[in-house]
Amino acid sequence: MNLILQSKVVNFWAQPFNSQWLWTGVIGGLLFGILIFLGLMFMPAQFRRPVVAFSTFIGGAYWVLLYIFPAPIDMQKTELATGPVESVGKFLTDANPVVVSVSGTVTAFMLGLGIFSLLSIHLKRITRRQKDWAFSVVLLAALASMAFFGYADYISRQGPDGTKLDLQANWGFVNYGRDLLFDGLLQQMDAAMFSVIAFYILSAAYRAFRVRSVEATILLSTALLVMLSLMGAVAFVWNDAVRNMANGNDFLMNFQLTEIAGWIRRTFETSSLRGIAFGVGIGALAMGLRIWLSLERTGGGA
Amino acid sequence: MPPILTYDGIKVTFGVLATVGLYSVLYRENKFYRFFEHLFLGLAAGWTLLTIWVENLKGPWWDLMVGVAPEKAGDPGGNGNWAYIILLPVGLMGYMVFSKKHNWMSRIPIGLILGLWSGQQIQIWYNTYGKQIAGTAQPIWPTTWSSLTVPNYDTLQLSPEALAAARSQVYLSQAITNFLFLMTVVCVLSYFLFSFDAKSKLVRSASGLGRYLLMIGFGAIFGSTVLMRFTLLIDRMYFIWIEWFNNVILNRS
Amino acid sequence: MEGNKTFGDVLQSLPKQVLYIILIVFTSVPLFFPVKVPNQPLESSIDLYANLMSVKPGETVLLASDWTNSTRGESLGQFNSVMRILMRRGVNAVIYSTGDPQAPRVAQDAIAKLNVERIAAKQPEYKRWENFVSVGFFSNGEATVNGMATSVRSSFNGKKDFAPGRGLTDVFESPILKGREKVADFPLLIVITGSKTSNITVERLSGKVPIAFAVTGVMGPETGNFYQSQQIVGFASGLKGLYDLEGLMEDGVNNPDKSGNVVVKSSKYGPIPGFPGEKNDGQGKRYYPTLHFAVGLLILAVIIGNVGMFLSRSGGRK
Repeated sequence: MNLILQSKVVNFWAQPFNSQWLWTGVIGGLLFGILIFLGLMFMPAQFRRPVVAFSTFIGGAYWVLLYIFPAPIDMQKTELATGPVESVGKFLTDANPVVVSVSGTVTAFMLGLGIFSLLSIHLKRITRRQKDWAFSVVLLAALASMAFFGYADYISRQGPDGTKLDLQANWGFVNYGRDLLFDGLLQQMDAAMFSVIAFYILSAAYRAFRVRSVEATILLSTALLVMLSLMGAVAFVWNDAVRNMANGNDFLMNFQLTEIAGWIRRTFETSSLRGIAFGVGIGALAMGLRIWLSLERTGGGA
Repeated sequence: MPPILTYDGIKVTFGVLATVGLYSVLYRENKFYRFFEHLFLGLAAGWTLLTIWVENLKGPWWDLMVGVAPEKAGDPGGNGNWAYIILLPVGLMGYMVFSKKHNWMSRIPIGLILGLWSGQQIQIWYNTYGKQIAGTAQPIWPTTWSSLTVPNYDTLQLSPEALAAARSQVYLSQAITNFLFLMTVVCVLSYFLFSFDAKSKLVRSASGLGRYLLMIGFGAIFGSTVLMRFTLLIDRMYFIWIEWFNNVILNRS
Repeated sequence: MEGNKTFGDVLQSLPKQVLYIILIVFTSVPLFFPVKVPNQPLESSIDLYANLMSVKPGETVLLASDWTNSTRGESLGQFNSVMRILMRRGVNAVIYSTGDPQAPRVAQDAIAKLNVERIAAKQPEYKRWENFVSVGFFSNGEATVNGMATSVRSSFNGKKDFAPGRGLTDVFESPILKGREKVADFPLLIVITGSKTSNITVERLSGKVPIAFAVTGVMGPETGNFYQSQQIVGFASGLKGLYDLEGLMEDGVNNPDKSGNVVVKSSKYGPIPGFPGEKNDGQGKRYYPTLHFAVGLLILAVIIGNVGMFLSRSGGRK
């Protein structure tokens, strides 16, 4: 389907690669976008909330329509839709790649906000020689190095022989640089940051995990049972003792640690988490509706 | 050549230095830790910057906008859909959050993303919870009294048909288990939903019981979290003591 | 006497640095003395293994690799085990990530190391483009996975990978993706994750394709919820799940060993072979025994703390 953002044939919206009309369209579209940007900057305040509400509604409307509107069954790509219902259904299905592309692209731009914020804070710290500005230099140098080596490594893999770089024997300087920064430093520090919590868990368990109330007792007992049942050696010793005592009696075999823990897991643990999940799900549905219909009082003002 | 002088040896040594640097915070906050903390943030931010372009903007946006170069001479290449350029000013509106006067404009792309998310919540609700509701409503009355507990199928020598028939029965223990399962879900849900003062004694009792049953779920999560975090620590100790100290320094594999 | 610490108070006031050093010792020393720990795999792990082994050679599966080194302790081992099974059975994989921008690179590095192992064992290399493609990272994972429910082609639109002799090429030109448009064209979707991307996948794709998980321990209880309602076909959770997988790869299911013993029994399945004689163990075998010591230390710390509390209380009452 020749939608605006996915037309394969040459028309007003789609032009050949590197052609004059394509770049005219890009520049023209950019100017149009800048005009809209400037228009929004000078928009009267009373129109702000409707504009935001409109963009929110349009975003949600696609997925809701896709869900509730009947989709054409077993329709081939080259087949033409007959009637308004089938046309709308085909349009919604065909628009899927465009919507996924648009949402991914806008999200990617928003991800850049974090980087932008980081850069502005640390550049300010360096230029104003604030406290610990030397560490900001380290941060920015690391950022620039990783971006440089990462991009250089990516470019080096572009050519027809790019797959040869999957083997370390074929690496050049930039590939080693990327590997040292990414695998040698970033990945190891990532792992170290997550593992530090283990120390705090032990310290907290020692200092604060007290059997002071019924709830705390239930929580502690369940935690201990879960941990012990997942320890193969403990389960083996317990189960072996039960098997020896049971002597083939099927009923007594239910007292093996793996059976008891499995029963508690299936009966109480899964069900209580399901209750939590239902509660969260109902809340998410209500929140989703409120956000989609802009019933949340976030406002459109500055 | 001793392993410490090879590239892999140097790489592992750098990793150990960084790990020990970050662990030094366990003693107290210090400049060694702060150095590695900033190094980590910078590297992570640099990689994120790279992947924003390489993974999310180049293929799904830029290449679709400007088209694809022909692989061989004479090939037409892929067409470009120039209207994708409109996403640039829309995305850049998000950066107006730093402007005091125009920060409302950042709500436009945020609203678009939130709208996409909220539309999906409506779409996925039944797909997520429909089967779970069915999975909760299991039989609470036994269909057979031939055995009070579920037989051990692994030890029974049954034909596939007989095994299927045995599996389809609901034994007393299963019925009790199903009832306890249903009761737990209802009590936990009542604890969440009836957060206002309920007049009915039944509802209040159910909410009270739900609170205790919730602790079982939280205990399970705590136990699992403990195991996971300890595993991550064991992995770091393996990296330091075996991959570096044993293999690189002592040169024993 | 007032002002003097009771024995209970002493028990509760061990300095935290001492605790940390004890923990380091308990998690380091056992690594030098590896032992085999007896184990009974969980039903969910057996289901995961059975489903992986049921995919026919030559088929292509979807693999969401959403982990990085932050959960390397569990996720790397799970990834390696799953990939070893796929590689040995000649099953192709389309690898994508929605959880972390580092994830695609981490997965590719792990596959490169597995290929070194395969080449050393004189087995064919698991080749990019012919056996696997890396579709890359998607910043809006929810929209992408939601799009996959309608059309995988539309979600992966514009994505490229490195084709031998051609450089970056549209992934749908790869032989393993040709003709596969919908998620139902894949026999299995596997998610290996250290975050909530497993939940995102089930919410949008359950019922459309068989889904299996390999999750970190912290996600285990939540994932059990999906397993109980049969929204997923099997899962491995945490280090225990990984140890289960490694054991199943060695022993199989309902599979007699040389002396005729069946190590792992399940009435749900017929005989499912393992891969005896090949490298099946990894992080599970290395870390699992040490985990026992760490957990034992935690339990001891909790007991000491509570005993101290009770002694302090009774000492105070006197």
